[in-house]
Amino acid sequence: MTFLEAVRQRFFAFLIVLGAAMVLSSVAFRFLDFGHGELKFIADFGFGGMFLFGSILAVVMTAQLFFAEMDNRTALTLLAKPLSRAEFLIGKFFGVWMILGLFVIILSALLGLVLWARAQELSLLAEQSGRVAPDFSISGLSIFALLQWLRLSVVAAIVLAIAAAARTFLFAVILGALTVVAGQLQWIAQDVLLKPTESVVYKSILWLTSRILPNLQQFNIGDALVLDSGTVAMSSIGWVILSGLLYASAYLLLGALVFRRREI
Amino acid sequence: MNSAISVRHLTKDFKIGLRGLKLRAVDDLSLEIPRGQVYGLLGPNGCGKSTTLKIILGLVSGTTGEINILGFPSATAEARRRTGFLPEAPYFHKFLSGRELVRYCAQLSGVPAVKMDDAVDSALELAAMTEASSRPIGTYSKGMLQRIGLAQAIVHDPELVILDEPTAGVDPVGAAAIGRMIRAMRDQGKTVVLCSHLLGQVEQVCDRVAIMDHGRLVLEGRVDEVLAQRDRHLMTIEGLTPEARLAAESTLAAHGARVTSVTHPRRSLEELFRELVTGSRDA
Repeated sequence: MTFLEAVRQRFFAFLIVLGAAMVLSSVAFRFLDFGHGELKFIADFGFGGMFLFGSILAVVMTAQLFFAEMDNRTALTLLAKPLSRAEFLIGKFFGVWMILGLFVIILSALLGLVLWARAQELSLLAEQSGRVAPDFSISGLSIFALLQWLRLSVVAAIVLAIAAAARTFLFAVILGALTVVAGQLQWIAQDVLLKPTESVVYKSILWLTSRILPNLQQFNIGDALVLDSGTVAMSSIGWVILSGLLYASAYLLLGALVFRRREI
Repeated sequence: MNSAISVRHLTKDFKIGLRGLKLRAVDDLSLEIPRGQVYGLLGPNGCGKSTTLKIILGLVSGTTGEINILGFPSATAEARRRTGFLPEAPYFHKFLSGRELVRYCAQLSGVPAVKMDDAVDSALELAAMTEASSRPIGTYSKGMLQRIGLAQAIVHDPELVILDEPTAGVDPVGAAAIGRMIRAMRDQGKTVVLCSHLLGQVEQVCDRVAIMDHGRLVLEGRVDEVLAQRDRHLMTIEGLTPEARLAAESTLAAHGARVTSVTHPRRSLEELFRELVTGSRDA
């Protein structure tokens, strides 16, 4: 039901269009590649668009779908049924998870198409000039899409946990967005932890922060996967997936515990 | 157990503001709602009846006290499996058809797949929504929304049905139809708890009523009993002239009038309600 509701929203279509525009426009902006490979630029542009609009989608749509149930009081009708609070929340999550999956699939397919088309053109040029033709990995792109889906799912789980406690949609969106930013910068906390320091309190806070917040940067291995797939070990990918699943599960559990005590 | 709902010493305090001041919404409420009847729960706005309903349905937890539904603690899935609920001013996803909504609610309520079609058809038929069931809910009138809400509340054949303002905003024809549906549910052996501000309808439909005010139970009993004014008598007299009406029974007999029955006069539920909650009698 959550998926059906979400897929009908113009906001979703709007973000798909924006994301697609960003992916497609990467070809036009490739002169800005600053000396890097053209395919790398297109890939980075596409990855960036997927993350930016995907994060917006994950944060805003998760909060919106949750608060729509509260504000319209459809939650009253649903929770009066033999449906536990946890089931309600997990149902919301899976609806959002499906919409995020659709978003990632569409944009990944589009990015793959753009990369393939440009790779064909560059291959012809390379043949003519006797250089090595650039290439990209479709399987790497598929794995990257899966990782992005997982990253956005973690974001959705975090926002759902926030929404379970929050009183307003705006608060949930703002805190969710800040959490995404913090998750992207979490690697800084980990870096600082490795440096010697005398302050136990400081170190404890950083340690806690690095554990509570997921490191969203760890999902940023698109370059290596798509353009140099042989350099990424499957075990590393496995750890990233496991970490993502654990964080999503932990935040869903936290959200369920908080929501259980919420008065509807 | 004869009670559909058993409420014992229920109290609910809400914390207000940062200082945590308490607002007592329900104050030591005890109530036994018998099975197989239509029970009216009445009270002015802010009296605690909606809070009581929400606690019964497990949407809000009580501060102290105990509630059982059909023998099960109210917050359990077992209790909710046996309960159907229509909230006040129901809102449903507009892109669903009526049939899709009822089917969805049937799935959530645990109706087995083999019985699904029959259950949905029966609920739509009782709610007189079979013809309109394939249309999107977004095209429904207010009365149709209430009726489809009723259908989703009863699709899983619950023993207890709770209706919060089922006829609010509905025209008299639609309200009468909903009244007939409520009586039909009672005839099927269900217990119906009805919250409504439309006292005329409550008086017609309900077997028993409870009136709340400021979180407390003010009055409870059979509708006929609570409305009867036992300190007064009603005499039906034949051949009575206008002058003789003012005299006593013996004086009436001396004037050639014949008393054919003596019954207790009945005031309206609305009069009683106003008298109890405002503390003054109507002239």
